[in-house]
Amino acid sequence: MTDLSAQPRPARSPWETPNPSRAFKVAAASTIPAGITTVLTLVFGIDPAVSVLLIFVPLQVIFAIAVGRNVAGKKGQGDAVLMFTSVFFTVLVAVLLTSLLWSIISQGFSAMSWHFLYQNNVYIDPTTSLEYGGVGHAIVGTVLIVGLTTLVTVPLGILIAVYLIETRDKSRSTVRTLVQAMSGLPSVVSGLFVYSMLIVSGVTTYAGWAGSLALLPLMLPTVARTAEEALRLVPVEIRNGALALGSPAFRAFWQVTLPAARSGIITAIILGIARIIGETAPLLLTTFAAKNTNFNVFGGPISSLPTYLYQYVSNGYDTSTQRAWGAALVILLLVAILFTATRIIAGDRKRPKKKA
Amino acid sequence: MSTSSEPTSHSPVRRTLKAKPFSRADRMFFGVARSASYFSVILIALILVFLFIRATPAFQSQGIGFIFGSNWNTSNPHHIVMQIGPMIWGSLLISVLGIILGVPMALSTAYFIEFMAGKTMARVATLVVDLLAAMPSVVIGLWGLVVFTPVASHWAELLHKALGFIPIFANTSGNFSASPFIAGWIVAVMIVPIITSISREIFSQMDRELINASLALGGSRSSTFFKVVLPTASGGVVGGVLLGLGRALGETVAIYFVLNLIFKVNWFNIIENQGGSVASMILSKFGEASDAEISGLMAAGLVLFVVTLVVNWIAAYIVNKAQPWRKL
Repeated sequence: MTDLSAQPRPARSPWETPNPSRAFKVAAASTIPAGITTVLTLVFGIDPAVSVLLIFVPLQVIFAIAVGRNVAGKKGQGDAVLMFTSVFFTVLVAVLLTSLLWSIISQGFSAMSWHFLYQNNVYIDPTTSLEYGGVGHAIVGTVLIVGLTTLVTVPLGILIAVYLIETRDKSRSTVRTLVQAMSGLPSVVSGLFVYSMLIVSGVTTYAGWAGSLALLPLMLPTVARTAEEALRLVPVEIRNGALALGSPAFRAFWQVTLPAARSGIITAIILGIARIIGETAPLLLTTFAAKNTNFNVFGGPISSLPTYLYQYVSNGYDTSTQRAWGAALVILLLVAILFTATRIIAGDRKRPKKKA
Repeated sequence: MSTSSEPTSHSPVRRTLKAKPFSRADRMFFGVARSASYFSVILIALILVFLFIRATPAFQSQGIGFIFGSNWNTSNPHHIVMQIGPMIWGSLLISVLGIILGVPMALSTAYFIEFMAGKTMARVATLVVDLLAAMPSVVIGLWGLVVFTPVASHWAELLHKALGFIPIFANTSGNFSASPFIAGWIVAVMIVPIITSISREIFSQMDRELINASLALGGSRSSTFFKVVLPTASGGVVGGVLLGLGRALGETVAIYFVLNLIFKVNWFNIIENQGGSVASMILSKFGEASDAEISGLMAAGLVLFVVTLVVNWIAAYIVNKAQPWRKL
């Protein structure tokens, strides 16, 4: 009699069973060209850029095609080449990024010290040794300028988002298009606008609030669009429920919609800050750079981290370049903090959605 | 059952519900929101109008030569020549170079993250790409000046030695730094994360059934990618590229660090030590600018703004067309 009892399912799907000869071929194809290239480069002293381009790439393509054809037939050739191209360019991007991050971190830390974080730039020449002076005044300036911009832009951006989501006005699409157009405003043009309108015409001298004004059109589109997305994610039932219970629209927004979209709104704020914290050109045209610590956003030149960096790069001395790297590291750390905060908050927002 | 659910000619005309804010507080709330929106509209109009008014004298005195000529001489106040042809051409050249270099990198990275990498790898790569997107351009400029320029000028020298007979790789000065080639690489580093994240987003939102159907019909991974994934995602990818182009055109400080701005059109000698960029030119000139010169800079800014606006609008249109599932 045939056995009709249930057979255990195989642990793996058929295409997942390990295939040693195939694994060996793939491993060989991915290592041999690199090995040959390394040996040739070292033996003949060829320039690495040349050997990668003229020896490694052709060899690797030939190996990939051969193995792809051997393993999967004609179909495998294209796949192998696509795979190689993809990995090659991804590695190139990774190398560029690693170089960028590594140079900021290594060079930055060599300029970094506690006093670098709190001292200001008075009595400092481009050639003064790194034992003196720092970016304290620039950190204060960045916080003040960006803070003022945030204070003005965030309510404005959220209100625009409210207008786009909560009302049914006819001009919504116009507003949306123009806000999007604003995101294409080159930062230097924004700075030039404020420079020419306020500073050349003599309304004010270089001042922090002029810088904030120049940053406003750069931050507004980011905040408005992200806040719009956040408000859109709030289920319409909650909103209608509040309205059906008889609450006025503004109360429904303030007590129901806004708390529900809180994490999204915070993300919008942080993304907006990240967008402007490294902006240099508009600040160069509007706040200039000061050596002393200036706590007054409404009067006198004020330094910020990007303008500090710019100033010291332009000097060209070794110590001043070191200071620029130090400032770059501080900016990177600020961006990383904002970035992590966004991730955490955005993660909080996504988790309950997946459960539902 | 069937008759009752079907609409008949006797059914009443469908009512349209109109909810209008009736309490004073609500009217105020919506009024404030509306005025904030109108403020943004006014702001952008104000910027355009102001730029236009301030730029008019320069346009009038320079004529069409402002855009096509190549000379900038403001030393004689009675005969000011401001012509930004080389800068406009330089901006376009650098942006195109950046896109030629950046698009393969970005598409490959997006493909790698979405279709090849494991879950952990993909998460790490996405995180890294997003971090790169948040990197301020002045920091990238510093890296480009100190770290990347020596490497890239070495590459340019090799290119010149091997392919110098082709006019594109000609170099007469013997100086390979501060060339459009290097600026193009820097722009590529900046736009790769933008294009990558948009392409990745579009790849990930694509209908999985399309891909599975292609594979089930016997398509290979490469034919699926080139004949199914790319054509379906092409709109979004092109939009992402145009957004990157917008960023490249407006890039100021980083290019100012790594490029030698010369008022002479460098048509396509990409490794020659001269080039141009409108945004960087504005930054380099504003410091000691006279009133007439500022008008010229304003005009340059206006030209740049208009070009960027057009590019961005085309990008937004294409991206929205490419994502029909995304409701406005």
